Amino acid sequence: MLIIKLALKNILGAGLRTWLNVIALSFSFVAIIYMQGLYNGMSDQMEKIAIEAEYAGGQYWHSSYDPFDPLTLDDAHGKIPDNLHTLIDRGEAIPILIRAASIYPNGRFQNALLKGIPPDQKILSIPSGVLENGGTSIPALIGGRMARSTGLKKGDYLTVRWRDTNGTFDADEFFISNIMKTDDSAIDNGQLWIPLEKMREMMDMKGEATIVVLKSGSRFAENAGGWNHKNLEFLMKDIRALFLTKSIGGSIFYIILLLLAMLALFDTQILSIFRRRKEMGTLMALGMTRGTLIQLFTLEGAIHSVLAAVAAAIYGIPLLTYSARTGFGLPESTDDFGLAIGNRIFPSFTGALVAGSILLVLTVTTIVSYLPARKIAKLEPTDALRGKMT
Amino acid sequence: MIKFLIKGLLRDRSRSLFPVLTVSSGVFLAVVLYSFMNGVIADMINSTARYQTGHVKVMTQAYAEESNQMPNDLALTGINEITQTLKDNYPDMIWTARIKFGGLLDIPDEKGETKDQGPVTGLAVDLFSPSSPEWDLLRIEKSIIRGRIPVERGEILIGDEFAGKLDIAPGDTATLISSTMFGSMAIYNFKIAGTVRFGISAMDRGAILADIADIQEALDMQDTAGELLGYFPDNIYNDEKAAEIAASFNRQFKDPDDRFSPIMRTLPVESGLSDYIAMIDSMGVIIVSIFIAAMSIVLWNSGLMGSLRRYGEIGVRLAVGENKTHIYKTLILESLFIGIFGSVIGTAAGTGVSYLMQIYGIDYGYLMKNSSMMISNVYRAKVSTGSFFIGFIPGIVSTVLGASIAGTGIYRRQTASLFKELEV
Amino acid sequence: MKYIALVILMITPAFLFSQNNPSPAEILKKIDDNTISDSKVVISRMVIHGRRGERTVRAKTWQRNTSDSFTEYLDPPREKGTKMLKLGDQLWTYSPSTDRTIMISGHMLRQSVMGSDLSYEDMMEDPFLSSLYEGEIAGSGELLGRQVWIMDLTAKKDDTAYARRKIWVDKERYLILKEELYAKSGKLLKQVDIHEVKFIEGRWIAVSATYKDVLKEGDGTEMMIESISFDENIPDYIFSKASLRK
Repeated sequence: MLIIKLALKNILGAGLRTWLNVIALSFSFVAIIYMQGLYNGMSDQMEKIAIEAEYAGGQYWHSSYDPFDPLTLDDAHGKIPDNLHTLIDRGEAIPILIRAASIYPNGRFQNALLKGIPPDQKILSIPSGVLENGGTSIPALIGGRMARSTGLKKGDYLTVRWRDTNGTFDADEFFISNIMKTDDSAIDNGQLWIPLEKMREMMDMKGEATIVVLKSGSRFAENAGGWNHKNLEFLMKDIRALFLTKSIGGSIFYIILLLLAMLALFDTQILSIFRRRKEMGTLMALGMTRGTLIQLFTLEGAIHSVLAAVAAAIYGIPLLTYSARTGFGLPESTDDFGLAIGNRIFPSFTGALVAGSILLVLTVTTIVSYLPARKIAKLEPTDALRGKMT
Repeated sequence: MIKFLIKGLLRDRSRSLFPVLTVSSGVFLAVVLYSFMNGVIADMINSTARYQTGHVKVMTQAYAEESNQMPNDLALTGINEITQTLKDNYPDMIWTARIKFGGLLDIPDEKGETKDQGPVTGLAVDLFSPSSPEWDLLRIEKSIIRGRIPVERGEILIGDEFAGKLDIAPGDTATLISSTMFGSMAIYNFKIAGTVRFGISAMDRGAILADIADIQEALDMQDTAGELLGYFPDNIYNDEKAAEIAASFNRQFKDPDDRFSPIMRTLPVESGLSDYIAMIDSMGVIIVSIFIAAMSIVLWNSGLMGSLRRYGEIGVRLAVGENKTHIYKTLILESLFIGIFGSVIGTAAGTGVSYLMQIYGIDYGYLMKNSSMMISNVYRAKVSTGSFFIGFIPGIVSTVLGASIAGTGIYRRQTASLFKELEV
Repeated sequence: MKYIALVILMITPAFLFSQNNPSPAEILKKIDDNTISDSKVVISRMVIHGRRGERTVRAKTWQRNTSDSFTEYLDPPREKGTKMLKLGDQLWTYSPSTDRTIMISGHMLRQSVMGSDLSYEDMMEDPFLSSLYEGEIAGSGELLGRQVWIMDLTAKKDDTAYARRKIWVDKERYLILKEELYAKSGKLLKQVDIHEVKFIEGRWIAVSATYKDVLKEGDGTEMMIESISFDENIPDYIFSKASLRK
């Protein structure tokens, strides 16, 4: 207790020097928390978008389905296993049927994916409701990117050709019932969403699907007759890997920033140990052990980070609160990288994040303060009293 | 006087070594951080430019409309003449033709029959003409994983993961099946020279890199290419200049009534990155200024401490009758030397390390194994003119500033109490 | 190969018997009977209209019954020597410049043949009308100066590529003069127009036709027969993978 009091008194007594260090450290604090918060916000948002638009509570895939290999789509469809069917009937899952097709926007041939979804579904954020009444034509919903690359507009007709389950050619005019603006390119690029039942009829695949999407929060993971359960962890591997790389980039930035602050602190420590030999000698003469002395000086350094945390709180809390409210604007084109990020990222600052950052800075500060203080161990009280250091 | 000060600095390590170390470490960190930020930003723009858009890009208007479909039947003919014209008009720019193509890669068994097949996308670039910029643009040599670079016609590089998927190795034959620009089936044999990591996971999974002359032959595209890319000589995108070049080119060559007449587009237009570039620019400025502020404080602090530790010496100097202002001046002059010396070392070390980071990069690709996203797998720093100033100037200024604030303490010293302080 | 199938359609010989009001099944049977010969050798020409101008491809085809064929391209110089072998439902191509025999399967089958309006899938189709379709005479008319039946054909089985066809059949020569291929929905997908028929080796043969993918912009692909001979003695080795490399 004594040394804490003493340390506090000492560093407050150092005046300007202390506060300069504290300010530099507090910058690191705010920067670390801000960067981490930004990445967390980004990752949360990407996961949220992906969950809402694609994954919900996880998926079951037909055994032949491989989203990375379009060649597998011919075979990737089948009757939905009974237990999944029960879920669907209870409104806890929806089936989606995926098939390849040829589209002819403006008479030009292109490959596309047809995705059948129940129009009345509530599990995914896809606005499938617009598919409920398409009149005589087959209504189709496309995303903004698809609209751009094909030149299609709401209300346009599009010729689509496909082969049904037996390989018979079929073709029809699709009516573009709406264009959805989505942050997730995985439900947009090169695909047309159409009513599931209509699609099953078109393909002659009654009761079949390619994937089944579980309701958000679903814990269902039973074996389902050859269909493979894919949990969120699996489905979001890419997003999480991306987030990881982003935060690696961020880490490099704030590690350097932290190093800079530590440089100042290290400097201060060395100087104070150099300058305060007599003081040390006196304290030792008064009976303080070398260990306690090391503790005292280490503590003095570490208190900087506590003060820095306080300083950071003073200007950081309003700053970060503001940025968490207003978010961080991203231009629309960012998503052309194929990432599902909204147009505005809201940093997310959690208690764990703040506590973690404080702990990190405190630990690093303590270590940095301790390193020069080790020198004290070699100190002879007699020399110290005379201002000498060996 | 100066000589004397320098001698003093050199002889008293505590007066020179430690402050110089502090200054140079601070400057070093500033330079590295700045270069790193620069590199990450530039890399994002640059990888788009290098792989996709160039700084400017010439295509036929028809090709530009459907460019995501790789419509080589709409490619730009008479490419040699156009390139020559561009070279004459813009001698500083680097021009290079490319063809993007898709198809199947077919791997033969020992009888020459199909053993395995996989969908492939490809990029054909000028590999073998002596002045080809592609080796640098695509950093081909550095991305080799297995095997070697192509040294003669008919050799290709293949994505390392893709090679694994098709179970082929350098030295094997792979046949490209695609269609010619006129729609005929194109079949062309290649030898795998090596496997590469493109740094873009989507390409690593299913792409090949071939020589443009081979692909022109394979796809019946003599004197024709899908795209003609232009790069600024320093490889740094200059929006103003690019827009100017594009406007004058389009005035001269673009014919609205002829779909096969060329059109030039700039990087932001072609990539849709314009807002992003603007945003990143402003973000970079903010981050760097926060950083410089922090660093100035640190260096100021260190200047302050440098003066404090010489309390005794100054006492003696005052006691023997040296003028306070003179001492103050010498202190500042000393700090200037320290600032310069430290900044030089820090800048040299910082740019050196940044340069290494620019060449080797920090590879985080192993974290992205099963990803299908078009993002470069390597962080690289970038040393630019700014790298030499970003630490240097604040390094000197903040050291001098620190010393001048700290030095004011001299004027508060009472001559009378000096000897008392000096008692040991 | 649909190209081959089409060639077969075009070379349907004209039997000179005349029978009043045969049943639709009989008509289809006769068309098929006339289509089939033990073997034939055809030199044909295909004019392909691309977005960058037109191109002519010449080829020589040896055919054995309806399931096997061997084609060698003669022109343009770029395609010369390229060969294609169809045995039942398998298809290979050989390119002399690479000395590779490549199996065409999966999504390659959906690609266009030499840039034409025909896909490899189209080439793989079974040409027998009578076994695949139920016919119905929808009416009569005149086409190319000939009296024709207009017939609606409906697939007998679910796995037929085209659910419906409409054909215009020469009443005397049992030669299809025009054909339309429909999707299950009733949408017109492809259209074949015969322009010229000739009497060769005792058979009436369509020697010029246009094949058009109706969904696609463009002028379609023109096909012409330069020469044809029937019942040639084609050695079996022609229809083997080994002959691709010869």
